[in-house]
Amino acid sequence: MEFPEQLKYTKEHEWVAIDGARARVGITDYAQDALGDIVFVQLPKVGAAVAANATCAEVESTKSVSDIYAPVSGTIAAVNETLNDTPEIVNRDPYGAGWIFDVDLTDAAEVDGLLDASAYRALVESD
Amino acid sequence: MPTAVGVTWRLIDDVGCGPADHMQRDLAMLDDVLAGAPPALRVYTWSVPTLSLGKFQSIDEIDNDACERLGVALARRPTGGAALLHGGDLTYSVAMPLPEDGHTGVQEIYDWLARALIAGLARLGVDSAVARHDGPGGPVCFAGQQGADLRVGDRKVCGSAQVRRQGAVLQHGSILLRRLAIDECDLVMTPYDKQALRAATITLDELGAPCEASVVADAIVTGFMTALGVAFTPTTLVAAKDSRDALM
Repeated sequence: MEFPEQLKYTKEHEWVAIDGARARVGITDYAQDALGDIVFVQLPKVGAAVAANATCAEVESTKSVSDIYAPVSGTIAAVNETLNDTPEIVNRDPYGAGWIFDVDLTDAAEVDGLLDASAYRALVESD
Repeated sequence: MPTAVGVTWRLIDDVGCGPADHMQRDLAMLDDVLAGAPPALRVYTWSVPTLSLGKFQSIDEIDNDACERLGVALARRPTGGAALLHGGDLTYSVAMPLPEDGHTGVQEIYDWLARALIAGLARLGVDSAVARHDGPGGPVCFAGQQGADLRVGDRKVCGSAQVRRQGAVLQHGSILLRRLAIDECDLVMTPYDKQALRAATITLDELGAPCEASVVADAIVTGFMTALGVAFTPTTLVAAKDSRDALM
């Protein structure tokens, strides 16, 4: 199970890569493993406003549909269109090619409320 | 949010109720659990033959003209998976928090609830098991098997699906009681071999088991009690709330 040090995390098992005022978001290795084979990703719309902790995408796997939450507030700046045809990339490379969307932050301070790698690892390992 | 173990669940017996706002009622159960209500098991039947579609299944896969001609209603499930014809089945639904012991994976929940379903079917003399995992199938639920499903021998007897929100899960599934005069092959655009679908599935009726919906429902409820240690308080679901989902 991987927990890249440079990333931030949420209790809902999303990862967040901060690059200036933009955040890239995906689901963690733990999440993709728990969900099983991912067959569909409902992406948010570019330009949509999202609020922290609100549902903004959905993932279907093994006949299960799961919400993806916005880790931070902002505007959807980009989505990973390749997931439309190859959603299984989320299983194969959750921290890389399996990214889901980018958010332009409206409140950079929200990043301080995210978990670091060690805190997220502890959360997962306490389960 | 309460745990699913060691608490009394709500039991909602909707067998014989209809016509169906069944998907809204299932979602209302999940909303109730998210709001702090105890877990719930609901059992129900469909008064009108209804083809339910997976949440993200394309409507283009469905032959709308055939559905209209054959008097089959359509419903959009909040859960995943493919098209499933209701009417000859007993449907169960469970809404509960994800376990606090870390065993929260999709397959882990299927496996846990399968213990109850298998125990319930065993009370009817049916020896079922968790189905093999074939991966994603085509547009007809019962044409394929995954770890979400139950089989008797190699034939599918129960298909299930889940939706998860904020630490809670809704799982519902269809137990085949008896054949209808039509099946999914009559209702989807993709040509399917009716004999192949029939060979891939089996009903309680064909197994010579009791197939009266109320009898099967009682057995399933008892299965939850014996296999999972669940205690129930019979209750009725308040009129289904408007769901956050836009259902068909």
